[in-house]
Amino acid sequence: MIPKINNFAKWGFVCGRISVLEATFLPKEFFLNLINQERIDDIIVILQDTYLKDYISPGAMWLSEEFGNIFDRCFNDIAFSLRSDCPSPLPVDLFLIQNDYLNLASAIKDKTDFVFPPCLFSYDMLSAIAQKDYADLPKTFKESYAWQTGEILGINPALLDIIVDGAYLRHLLLISDETKSELIKKYIRLRITSYIIIAMGRGMDKGIPMKHYQQYLSPIPGYDHLIDELAVTPNIENWRGIIGGEIGDIFFECAEYEEVDHISIFEFRVNNFLSNMAHIGAYQTAGPERVFAFLLGLLNEMQNLKLVVMGRINNIDRDFLKARIRDCYV
Amino acid sequence: MSPEWIEIGRGLCYGGAGLAFGLAGAGSAWGISIAVHQCAGVLREKPELFGRMLVMIALPGTQGFYGFIAAILIMTQTGLIGGSSIKISLGTGLAMFFVGLGCGIAQLMSAIKQGEASAAGISLIARRPESAGRAILFPAFVETYAVVGLLATVLFIIFLTQPVVLKFLG
Repeated sequence: MIPKINNFAKWGFVCGRISVLEATFLPKEFFLNLINQERIDDIIVILQDTYLKDYISPGAMWLSEEFGNIFDRCFNDIAFSLRSDCPSPLPVDLFLIQNDYLNLASAIKDKTDFVFPPCLFSYDMLSAIAQKDYADLPKTFKESYAWQTGEILGINPALLDIIVDGAYLRHLLLISDETKSELIKKYIRLRITSYIIIAMGRGMDKGIPMKHYQQYLSPIPGYDHLIDELAVTPNIENWRGIIGGEIGDIFFECAEYEEVDHISIFEFRVNNFLSNMAHIGAYQTAGPERVFAFLLGLLNEMQNLKLVVMGRINNIDRDFLKARIRDCYV
Repeated sequence: MSPEWIEIGRGLCYGGAGLAFGLAGAGSAWGISIAVHQCAGVLREKPELFGRMLVMIALPGTQGFYGFIAAILIMTQTGLIGGSSIKISLGTGLAMFFVGLGCGIAQLMSAIKQGEASAAGISLIARRPESAGRAILFPAFVETYAVVGLLATVLFIIFLTQPVVLKFLG
């Protein structure tokens, strides 16, 4: 599965930018050092060596909520900037449509405050949906069984999130197929598998009946069988045989832990597995895989920074934070 | 041999010369374009690296000159430039045509691939500017085969225009 290099000139510019940007990625030692800091002011000084230097200034007062937004803003700004330089926005859209679907979930719940920067779904479109004008609802949402049967009107908001998740996964699948990149397609297919497992595992913990996932997450081409099988298997320890493959192996390893949140550990491990798998794209001189691998590395870095900074502000145990640092790009 | 065949032979020589510099020039333009795209992206973030990037951009341009040298040599040796009136048979014309074509293909491919190697080198310099010296080596290795292609072309042209060979080819 070696990425093909057949479009140098088109992707050269954006990948040249990435060559410079990726030089500032942070190693794991940086995060460990950050965790060991005693004062938040010292953390802010150290953050001046990261992408966040344009977003924070030493001496300013920061609330933990503000910090949370800064990481997302930083990622979105860089992603949008790269998107404008890409010959095809598809590799970047795979990361940014999550914002669109979070905004869409708000709009369908009649809320008009869309906190995430829109990528494919404009504010006008979201505002119209919030005012119950469903003409511009995305095709991926209209494909859900709940929409087609008219069940969606007056549905429980928790179940609405499942429908939006289904639409989001269908959209990911659609975009990944359009990229025509084997690496990206494989990554997204495994990501969707893990997303379904995590969503259903969490749903089971919350006591949401599994039949709702069959009703509202489907149809996802190629995954309906998995959803059906997981839904009719009430014992989570038996899921490994259903999942199969590399993701099934990771799930099995996580199930061996006792008295811990299996799904959280699974999410952490599968994220590292998928990031390492996609990292091969970073060795491409120019092409969509390079952009995809970079954004994945940037997303992981922002998640690590968010974990460490928010964790330290909220006095979370240092050993817990160290154990949850995701694998770094460098 | 009739005068028509001699004219065809001469025409083939010039066709070979045209292919030599045409393909080589196209390859160089293509190779430079690949390197320049990558370089422009790097310079957007780090304009101070321009000096180190310049050599990497210029390297795929040499093939165009090699093609030009080969074309000039074909034209001088066959009498288009210089006015010498050697007799060009159909055999000599065909030989010159394929020498020019071979030279053009070698220069075209090496220029494109050198552009890709330069782009990879530019990527390395962007991440580690101290590696600029090593990064220049990658496209320089590709250059070797462009030079070998030119040398072979020069030797072929000189050999093919020797009186003994001209007589042998008709």
